[in-house]
Amino acid sequence: MGFDIFFHALLGVITSGSFVFVLIGVLLGLCFGIIPGLGGTTALALLIPITFSMDSLDAMYLAGGVMGATSFGGSITAILLNTPGTAPNAATTFDGYPLAQQGRAGEAIGASATASAMGGLIGLITLMLFIPLAKEIVLLFGPVEFLLLTILGLVAIAVSSRGKLLRGLIAGGFGLLLAFVGVDTVSGHTRFTLETDYLWDGIPLVPTLTGLFAISQMIELSLKGGSVVTERVNVGNLTGLWKGVVAVFKHWTVLIRGSFIGTIIGAIPGLGGTVASFIAYTSTVQSSRDPSSFGKGNIIGVIAPESANNAKDGGSLVPTVAFGIPGSAETAVFLGILVLHGIDPGPTLLLENEREVYGLIIALTMSAVGASLIGLLTARWLVKITFVNVNILVPLVVTISLTGVYVLEGKPGDVILALVMGIVGYFMIRFDYPRLTLVIALVLGETAERSFHQSLMISDNNLVGLIMERPQAIILVLATLLTLLLPALRKRAKKPT
Amino acid sequence: MSNRIIASLSCAAVILFGAGTATADWPEKPIKFVVPYSTGGGFDVYVRAVAPEMEKILGVPVVPENIPGAGGQKGAATVYKSEPDGYTIGIFNVPGLTVPPLLGKKVAYDLDQITWLGNLAKDTYSIAVKADSPINSLKDLCSLGRPAKFSDTGPASTSSVTAKISMSLIDCPMTNVTGYKGSSQTIVAAMRGEVDATLKPIGSLQKYVKSGDMKFIVTYENKPSIKGVSSSRELGHNEFEKLTLYRIVGGPPGLPKDVADKLADALLKAANSDAVKEWSAKSKKPLDPIGGAEASVLMRDLSDFYSKYKTILAE
Repeated sequence: MGFDIFFHALLGVITSGSFVFVLIGVLLGLCFGIIPGLGGTTALALLIPITFSMDSLDAMYLAGGVMGATSFGGSITAILLNTPGTAPNAATTFDGYPLAQQGRAGEAIGASATASAMGGLIGLITLMLFIPLAKEIVLLFGPVEFLLLTILGLVAIAVSSRGKLLRGLIAGGFGLLLAFVGVDTVSGHTRFTLETDYLWDGIPLVPTLTGLFAISQMIELSLKGGSVVTERVNVGNLTGLWKGVVAVFKHWTVLIRGSFIGTIIGAIPGLGGTVASFIAYTSTVQSSRDPSSFGKGNIIGVIAPESANNAKDGGSLVPTVAFGIPGSAETAVFLGILVLHGIDPGPTLLLENEREVYGLIIALTMSAVGASLIGLLTARWLVKITFVNVNILVPLVVTISLTGVYVLEGKPGDVILALVMGIVGYFMIRFDYPRLTLVIALVLGETAERSFHQSLMISDNNLVGLIMERPQAIILVLATLLTLLLPALRKRAKKPT
Repeated sequence: MSNRIIASLSCAAVILFGAGTATADWPEKPIKFVVPYSTGGGFDVYVRAVAPEMEKILGVPVVPENIPGAGGQKGAATVYKSEPDGYTIGIFNVPGLTVPPLLGKKVAYDLDQITWLGNLAKDTYSIAVKADSPINSLKDLCSLGRPAKFSDTGPASTSSVTAKISMSLIDCPMTNVTGYKGSSQTIVAAMRGEVDATLKPIGSLQKYVKSGDMKFIVTYENKPSIKGVSSSRELGHNEFEKLTLYRIVGGPPGLPKDVADKLADALLKAANSDAVKEWSAKSKKPLDPIGGAEASVLMRDLSDFYSKYKTILAE
């Protein structure tokens, strides 16, 4: 039912020549994705004034092109430099970078490109299938479910830190601490804002991430010296690339699981690609037969997060097609662009502005595939970055990242924060504290606290009673318990009788 | 003696001349129009509709800049602290911003000192519930046997303040469930049934009623504007219609009069232009522009009005 409109619109794009806007969007998205500190939301926000004079449909093509390309672009830096280009690529560094160090960067990029394209497509197909149920899906997830989901996420943190449980928990705890800085949405009191305006809304995510991952990594690289690749391996060959592409299809269950997780988490407002890729990675490791092989260059460790962070794009459109409301920072910008064109997004958005919504979906589809193709074609040259000496690489990346951070809102505070977190991140690398754990806790902390208070108010302080009334909440509780108990259960299963 | 006179006269001349030249060539660079919320929201669209028209009148770019945060306070503080050189103005969410100072909270702006330039619109409030709710009237809402739950974004937002005051005036027990991210989430909350009702401008709720997801139970106005929905005055609650959301524009304290007048004039002309009127009709955003002097009077009346409710708000 939605598919014939989809194909009609697809034909329209190709024949009208407007697909050039998609292409421009893809190139922009790739660039913004690759550069640490810049990302999809920044790119889209900068595009808003430009779209003002464009036709609304063309604006959607441009925006969709950007959005579908950034998470693949970011995986390139994640793999080559251990520096996620965007937050949702953080989990890709775990296995992507070791692969690059072993000279298998081509393979990793090939896998990432394919997983991103396939994940994006699966996410969008799922969206189209569920359009008739979109309203029900949005209404299914309220503050209670958000709370349980964030708890699930935090539990996943604890569980994923096997081997360094204490350090994982400390990092997570520190992340939560940072999450609570700012104005409390319930009481209106300020907490730890150090009497500055800057920290009013809490600690901003992008400068923190840039510092924690990009700057710290550059400090580490510069102290180490040499270049990224430690072994002398011939990387120019394309077989590595093809091997990566094939690996995605070989491990199709990983692809499906990653995409599934990405789509679902994308549909829930406030969680985003970072949480999606992290949970996809963690659950894949957990359910693998050989968990200890991860973190050392297991190609599956690239497939899982990369499929999730693209699948989320499809999922994030569910609230938009249901009620015309944003489900993520990027979709909020889309809707802003529509508003500027005189469209008032609401529950009838899909009915009244079918053109624009399907235009966006088409653009996302073309972008997911297009970005990956461009990535595959240019991989041979991109991979050469791993051979560049750090004395050139480090200053370049640091300058570009900090500029990117400053460009966001023009606040010097962001740059200072990035530098501070860079130093914190460096010490975390040195002493082997997981940085992604800190980030996930930072992302989830605010939603967790807010949802907790809301759930209490809604349930008249009878939270357990409310959970019992909602089947979706009960399922989440069970999933959390399962996540907690799975490692212990497996240990028992492995013990010789 | 005469030396002194000459000295003070020349000083005066220099000052007048200096002040004259400072503002004589205004405007010569772009003007920043601060929006205290993110792109796409209610305030944002008004500014983006009006700014291009102001640009035509003043001959320099008028650039909207989104400075979201702290329920509109960040944007307000930015304008308050900026140089009174006529190159920064902003739109303010009133009466939301009047509340924190009333409750004794430390804020980085002073609404009494802002140079008011004009008001663009007044939004009428209304209460809505989900379409299949057993609640069909204000009376139903207040006789639930427990406090009625309203959804809102934060405790100091204009709508939560309006809800608190109006419900207190009719002795209707209520609580605000706050913390939702954005007003669309508060409306979805009502649809889910996790709160009983939500109080929002009619314009924001209209599309959800049209689609059959929500229904109005009362509007805060004199004469009912929606068929089948009682107005507050019909029900005998005369104070409610004074509780409205304003889209008021202002500049930093100490703005020279001639610059302020030019800005106010440009704003009013822009709001009354054909392009903006067309936009207003197309996107169903009401327009009711008033000029600078009237806006100042309006603000004074508003702060007096809301200070009456200090005790209710402090609960």
